[in-house]
Amino acid sequence: MTSEAPPVTGLALQVKDLHVSYGAKRAVDGVSLDINEGEIFGLLGPNGAGKTSTLSAIEGLVKPTSGSILIRQVDARAHPGLAKALIGVQLQSTSFQSELKISEIVKLYAGLYGVPLTKPAIVERLTEIHLGDEASRRFSQLSGGQQKRLSLLIATVHDPPLVLLDEPTSGLDPQARRQLWDRIEGIRKSGRSILLTTHSMEEAQSVCDRVAIMDNGKILTVDTPAGLIEKHKDDPNVLAVARGQVTLEDVFIGLTGREVRE
Amino acid sequence: MSEPSAVKTRSVSPPLRAPALSEIFRALLEADFTVQLRNNRALLLSFALPVVVLYALFASPAFKRAIVLGDPEFKVAAALTLGMASIAILGYSMTVARDREKGVFQRLRVTPAPTWVIMASRLLVQVAANLATALVVLVAAHLFVGYTVFQNADSNSPGLEDYLVAYLLTFICVIFSSALFLSVGQALAGLVQSADTLNAVGRIAYLPLFALGLFGQSTVFGTTFELISRWSPGGTVETLLSGAMNPASWNSDTWLALAASTVYTVVFAGIGIRWFQWGAR
Repeated sequence: MTSEAPPVTGLALQVKDLHVSYGAKRAVDGVSLDINEGEIFGLLGPNGAGKTSTLSAIEGLVKPTSGSILIRQVDARAHPGLAKALIGVQLQSTSFQSELKISEIVKLYAGLYGVPLTKPAIVERLTEIHLGDEASRRFSQLSGGQQKRLSLLIATVHDPPLVLLDEPTSGLDPQARRQLWDRIEGIRKSGRSILLTTHSMEEAQSVCDRVAIMDNGKILTVDTPAGLIEKHKDDPNVLAVARGQVTLEDVFIGLTGREVRE
Repeated sequence: MSEPSAVKTRSVSPPLRAPALSEIFRALLEADFTVQLRNNRALLLSFALPVVVLYALFASPAFKRAIVLGDPEFKVAAALTLGMASIAILGYSMTVARDREKGVFQRLRVTPAPTWVIMASRLLVQVAANLATALVVLVAAHLFVGYTVFQNADSNSPGLEDYLVAYLLTFICVIFSSALFLSVGQALAGLVQSADTLNAVGRIAYLPLFALGLFGQSTVFGTTFELISRWSPGGTVETLLSGAMNPASWNSDTWLALAASTVYTVVFAGIGIRWFQWGAR
C-alpha cells in the first residue's frame, strides 16, 4: 500500500464522473471537478442537490457507485488511509465523545493522524483560536461559534493540504461568521486548498475563488462568482428572478428553480 | 473583518503519510479508557451492581434463607455474569447507539482510522472493564464470606499453583464471557438504531440473556426450566465461570458451556457486524 503522498502537481483534488446512489435514488450523477493548490472552491446548491453526498464520497463516508477521486494524485478509493491523511474534514454537524475535555479531543484527533502533540502544544493551538482558557471544558459546554472554531482546528490539526468544510458557518451569528471566514482565509494563505459547501451567496462571493452550482446531483455551472454572474446575466430564467442588477443569488435561483426543497 | 491578527498560518508540510496502526490504536485506546472512567453509568454497572448482588446472594440473611441457587462458585459466577451482561447490554450498546446518533463515529471515520480499529479499541476497553469487575467481585466475595477459588475442590488442601491456575482460568473465561455479552451488545446496537429504543429493548433482552441464567443450577421452577436456563447465554457463562473457579470440577458440561458460549458469540457478532450502521439513518 502507498504510505506516502506523491509530489505536488498543482491539483489538490480531481474528481471525475462521480456517481453516488442510495438504493434507487441517484444523489450524485456524474460530478467532475478540479481544485487547484491554494484555491477555495465553493459548492452551492439547494437542499438535496448532492453537495454533502459529493463531500461524503471524497471523505470516504459513502462508497461511490463509479468515478474516480484523486487527492494530490492519491486514488482515494484504492488508498483510503493515505487519502484521509491528506484531507481535513469539518462535517455539517460535529460531535465528539461527551466525556472528553476539548484538550483531550485535540490530542485524540492529532493522534489519529500520527501527530504527537504535547500538552503545551495543545494549549498553544487552542489559544490560537481563543479557546486556551476552555481547555478543560467539554465540547457541549462551548458556544456555537466556539464549537465551529474547535471543529476547524481539529480539521487542520495535521496540516492537511486539502480541507473539506460542509456548511462551516451555518447557524453562526454575523460576528462569528466573519471570524470563521478570516480563519478559512488564513488556512488558504498557508497554502492549503479548501472545498466548502454553503447556502450563503454572501459567503460564496466573499470567500470562494471559484464556485460550482449543483442541482439534482449534477454540476450546472462552474466559474468565479463574478464570472458566473457575467456568464448567466442574460439567461431568461435568471432575468426572471432578478430584482435590478443580477446577483449571484439570482443566478443560483435562475438555474435551480424557485421551488422550496425539503 | 474581525481579529485578522489572531489567524495564525502554518505552512503545509508535505509529504504527508498515512499514520501507523499503532499510533491510531494508541490514540483511540487512551480516549476510550478516559471515556469509560468518566462514565458514571458504566462504573455503576461495572462495580456497584455486581457487588450489591453478591452481598445479597451471600451475606444478606434474608436471601440466604430464601434463595438456593447453587454452590458458592455459581453465586460468584452469577454476580460476575450480571456485571458483564450489564456492561455490555446496558452500557456498551447504549454508548455505541448514543455516539452513532450524535455523529461521533462519522467524525472518527473521516480520519485515517480503519473502522475495525475504532470498534476494536472500544471493545478492548470493555473487556478490560470486565476483568476489573471480576477482580472486584472476587475480592468482595473474599471480604463478605471468605470465599476463594478452589473452595469446594475435592482435592485436599490445594497448593499455591492450584490457586494460580484457577484464577488464571477464571480471568481467561471472563474474556470469553465478555466476548459473548459484548457480541450481544453489538447485535442490539446493530438491530436497533435509536438510543432510546435500544435502552428499552436492552432492559427487556436482559431477562432472557442474563436473568434466566440465574436458575441454571436450581430446579425450583422444574427441570425443563432448569435446562433452558442452563443453556441460555447467562446460564452457559455461569457454568463456564463456576467451572473455571473450581478447575477440579471442570467436566463435560463445562466444555459444552465453552462451546455454546463460542457459538453464541459467533452468531451475535455476525448479526452485529452484518446490520451495524455507522451513521444515524
